[in-house]
Amino acid sequence: MADPALRLVGIEKHYATVAAVAGINLEVNEGEFVTLLGPSGCGKTTTLGLIAGFFPPTAGEIYLKGRPVADLPSFRRDIGVVFQDYALFPHMSAAANVAFGLRMRNVPQPEITKRVADALDLVQLVGLGERRPLQMSGGQRQRVALARALVINPTVLLLDEPLSNLDLKLREEMRIEIAAIQRRLGITTVFVTHDQSEALVMSNRIAVMNAGRIEQIGEPADIYERPATRFVAEFIGRMNMFAGQVTPARTVRTAAGTEIDLPVPASIVTGAEVHVAVRPERTRLVRDKPADGLALRGALRQVLYLGATREFHVALDAGQRGLVETPNDGAAPSFETGATVWLAASFANCRVLPAPS
Amino acid sequence: MNARIFSARWRATSGPWALLCTVVAFVYVFSLGPILITTAVSFNQTNRSFFPPRGFSLRWWERALTPEWLDPLLFSLKLGTFTALLSTLLALPLAFALYRYRFRGREALVALTLGPLMLPTLVTGVGLLQLFQYVGWREHIGFAALLVGHVVICMPFAVRTVSISLQTLPPNLELAAASLGATPVRTLRHIVFPLIKSGLVAGAVFAFIHSFTDVNLSIFLARPGEVPITVKILGFLEFGFAPTLAAVSVITLLLPLILVAIVERVSGLGDFIYGDRRG
Repeated sequence: MADPALRLVGIEKHYATVAAVAGINLEVNEGEFVTLLGPSGCGKTTTLGLIAGFFPPTAGEIYLKGRPVADLPSFRRDIGVVFQDYALFPHMSAAANVAFGLRMRNVPQPEITKRVADALDLVQLVGLGERRPLQMSGGQRQRVALARALVINPTVLLLDEPLSNLDLKLREEMRIEIAAIQRRLGITTVFVTHDQSEALVMSNRIAVMNAGRIEQIGEPADIYERPATRFVAEFIGRMNMFAGQVTPARTVRTAAGTEIDLPVPASIVTGAEVHVAVRPERTRLVRDKPADGLALRGALRQVLYLGATREFHVALDAGQRGLVETPNDGAAPSFETGATVWLAASFANCRVLPAPS
Repeated sequence: MNARIFSARWRATSGPWALLCTVVAFVYVFSLGPILITTAVSFNQTNRSFFPPRGFSLRWWERALTPEWLDPLLFSLKLGTFTALLSTLLALPLAFALYRYRFRGREALVALTLGPLMLPTLVTGVGLLQLFQYVGWREHIGFAALLVGHVVICMPFAVRTVSISLQTLPPNLELAAASLGATPVRTLRHIVFPLIKSGLVAGAVFAFIHSFTDVNLSIFLARPGEVPITVKILGFLEFGFAPTLAAVSVITLLLPLILVAIVERVSGLGDFIYGDRRG
């Protein structure tokens, strides 16, 4: 069996007494696009720096195509990095920036010229090679940085929040473009971001990180539809969380006392505190208690008009808050603030998650 | 950008503007005035230093351009050049160590390096003289001792300019170079060095000027035949001010100016001395 392009085994990085990365295992297959997603301080950029070889891990091993590299300095690892601030060399033209990695590899000049031209063509910067980074827009600099990292055909391409300095429109375009280039070249890529929609749109798989660990790893739909923990559920998209407890009959009794018949994962023991999780867009508001499915009574507190959608904020009788999101179909909302309503969802759209201890 | 603040209307009506103009005028009068007067005096025809000059002659200039004055001038140029080179060479690794790494004793080393900036150079001079005598290097008093002393008092300037340019280096450039396969040496050569060049050159220029104009320290460490121009001028002043001195002063003033202008032309250190044009 072929070795994965990148494998992290028990990687840890400690600063003084703080563990920035607290034990990460990860395999990235050849040609795969894997995103490390998490809030700031979760260790995702540190993990990227460890893969790049900017500093050594405290424990664990890193394999690039089966070769252990944890003890190798960055310049012997054959990786390409796109930095958040692009880190272009300001005293060199765009073309010279792209050529730098090839020069360091002592590639003959005619080949450098050709490969730099190809790389600039790939990122649609034909004719701008002679510009200095300071004469370019943020989007153009980003493309130069991408071309510079790609032109050396690295074993792994590392992207450290490369889109966060762009404005929204451009960011959404570049998401698609970078993903398209990645798929076309088939280059193994690790992408770091705190932006969940970037992660969902671009990745083959997403590793959600929290406090130096990977909480869950899976395909975007997996992560969104079947979050394994409360952290993942709340970090990706929005989620209603209703507290409850697992009964001996393996059902869930909510705080309000209603018993609901939901599949409880085998890993959760009877009597454990749990959360029933359901996405706001998978819930609906009704006037009367529905015959089956999840139903929680409350008072409608607020209706927010968001253009494409409406948000209904409900104060539930059990003291919790509920959120219902419905597409705006042009009709006026049929509920007024203050009304008594039922927040309803089918059981198929509900998940039982362990409450964090 | 600030031009807007000083709109024509504001200028025409405001007291602060008039005050600013007055202050600037005073600064010019007192900084340029002496130079103009000295230059004028050097063309006197009489034996006395009259201003405005009486008559016109180049006799004081002829006297200034004899070995009596040219030798110390050349000596100062040589001393300044060596001081500038040595200070900058030492400042580069020192600035790297002090501003890139955190280590025990770092604060002490910073204080030790920049200390001479705050110490009266007179005291440093007396101290160095005593040191050289104490360790039995009496025969090195002269050029060698002057070079040591000047490097001590000039290096802080070079350390400052180099460390400032190191600090303005974008943080990830060296990591980017490493990720692209550049060894630390090649990163230094292709990335760091070109980007801190103006800091190095500015440091060298400041060191040269400081060395060239120093008298406080030099007066203790010179010896016959190895005398900087400043010490020579001071010695001559004991016999009163003669128009020769005016001519010598003008030369002493112009030499470093010309040198700085050449360096500025060649390497464009303007960014550093006059503020950052790159914005």
